Amino acid sequence: MKKLNSYSWVMIFTGILLAEIFFALGMGSVKLSGNEIYETLFQGIQSNMPVTAPRQGPVHDIVWLLRFPRLLLAAATGAGLAVCGTVIQAVVKNPLADPYILGISSGASLGAVLSIFLGAGIFFGPDFIGICSFAGAFSISLLVLIISQMDGKPDTTKLLLTGMAVNMACSSISSFIVYFANDKDGIQTILFWLMGSFAGAQWSTLQIIIPVVCFGIIFFWTQNRTLDIMLLGDHTAVTLGTDLSKYRHVYLLMSAFIVGFLVYSAGMIGFVGLIIPHIVRIFTGTGHRYLLPLAALLGAVLLVAADVISRILITGTDIPVGIIVSLLGAPGFVFLTAKKSYSFGGKN
Amino acid sequence: MDISVKNISFSIKNTVILSDISASIASMECVGIVGPNGSGKSTLLKCIYRVLQPDAGEIFFDGSNIKNMTLKESARAVSVMAQDNSYAFDFLVEDIVLLGRTPYKKMLQFDNEADYKIVKNALKTVGLAGFEKRNFSAISGGEKQRVILARALAQNTSCLIMDEPTNHLDIKYQMQTMEIVKKHKFTSIIAIHDLNIAALYCDRIIALKDGQIVGNDVPEKLLTPEFIYYLYEVLSEVHMNKKTGKVNIIYMPSDSNICK
Repeated sequence: MKKLNSYSWVMIFTGILLAEIFFALGMGSVKLSGNEIYETLFQGIQSNMPVTAPRQGPVHDIVWLLRFPRLLLAAATGAGLAVCGTVIQAVVKNPLADPYILGISSGASLGAVLSIFLGAGIFFGPDFIGICSFAGAFSISLLVLIISQMDGKPDTTKLLLTGMAVNMACSSISSFIVYFANDKDGIQTILFWLMGSFAGAQWSTLQIIIPVVCFGIIFFWTQNRTLDIMLLGDHTAVTLGTDLSKYRHVYLLMSAFIVGFLVYSAGMIGFVGLIIPHIVRIFTGTGHRYLLPLAALLGAVLLVAADVISRILITGTDIPVGIIVSLLGAPGFVFLTAKKSYSFGGKN
Repeated sequence: MDISVKNISFSIKNTVILSDISASIASMECVGIVGPNGSGKSTLLKCIYRVLQPDAGEIFFDGSNIKNMTLKESARAVSVMAQDNSYAFDFLVEDIVLLGRTPYKKMLQFDNEADYKIVKNALKTVGLAGFEKRNFSAISGGEKQRVILARALAQNTSCLIMDEPTNHLDIKYQMQTMEIVKKHKFTSIIAIHDLNIAALYCDRIIALKDGQIVGNDVPEKLLTPEFIYYLYEVLSEVHMNKKTGKVNIIYMPSDSNICK
């Protein structure tokens, strides 16, 4: 299962993802048959009315307004997190890194906490929690980048340590606010945010999220050779004619931007960005040319499945999708590592 | 390609690592750099292959100052086999060697048939035919060294810089490595500890001590027992080998009773 049939892996996973989304449209408290889904999808595409127009029938509303946006958001989030995770692991040359490592997670939750408990950014309108967490995520990762560059020497270990330190600082500020605010509803809201959910999916946000994620995946895919070289380190890169420091900044900012958007629309979902890259490496090796598209597809497949399960496991309740992802993913991953000879560090 | 180094100095904080080094290496010449640990061998090589910026002085490839060359241009001229070759992620051997083609690629260009052929030949040359799909982490230290040599070959340069290339290699591959360098007629600069290997294969030896050049001559003239004592503080005997016309160095214990 190495290089030569990686193209077919891409085709297979694309097929799986499309089929999965199709059948997932039928699952939930109201079950729909394959025919109904097909007809509703077809009508929605054919119809001159926008899909969000009212009074198009209950089946239309279930498919086009409730389930389809959720599934697309799940797919986009999975793909984006998996690709950003792969890229961040290459940038910091550390297999334990994930998209949230550069302070993005704690920055996002600090933003959310500030808006929920102190009403920061309320003038942004109904989406103000999301906007605040995007702002928090992006500005904290900028801060981490700037701090780690202060002495002018690029050093990935310092970048990681700075990220962790800033993470700690931000989460203690968040905890401080939460502890003293003594606001039960606020705590509920922030918990929901931190565990991730696709319930808030809307076509208006998807119009931004999907292009951002697609552009990000294509951009990083064009960078596959530089990402490979990053794993060899700065010195080897110079002898191969590449100066990594400028690429590193661009990649980190791109990732922070994409993850910030994902946090804005779906909250925090762990595990995907850390583990999906490793699972795909088991099958394709470390070359990013195949690793990136397959990671995107597998991330999407996993989150779509997780979203369906989170909707149908307990009738009438949306379980936070982050819980499902970890419950589902962790044993699967342990099983794979136990079966395959896969070395994370390469130094065994 | 010829290389010339003019008045290079390099220091870290207040410690002088290299002071006022000048040397020139003719096209297709094989030059060994010898000297005790910490004498500045690696630093000098790193200045030449552009990982370090010297504090003063200039370096020229074929008469053009490397400051005016892009990294890509110099990577097409000089390939490097460095000392440390452990990577944080696992690669296929083939993927590592393929990266040697990087200086010839534009952003969106993928590897083509010709690149895979170059990789195959390079692996064959270093005696690793059939290793393409092996995991780099799972091969021995000596095999790793040879994979890196194969990557340098795939880079298709006229100059090769090696920093202690024979570490980890058994005697067969030490000699094979040096013979590959000679056969390809590389302009080569090789930091090396084994004086016998240096005497056998290098056209000229430059000796460094405390960041300064203390000797620069053909091996037969430079490597005398007196000079070896001056450089390393070890006793030795040096004999001319009639078959090879090169010198053999035999090290002597500091106290003849120790080995009895």
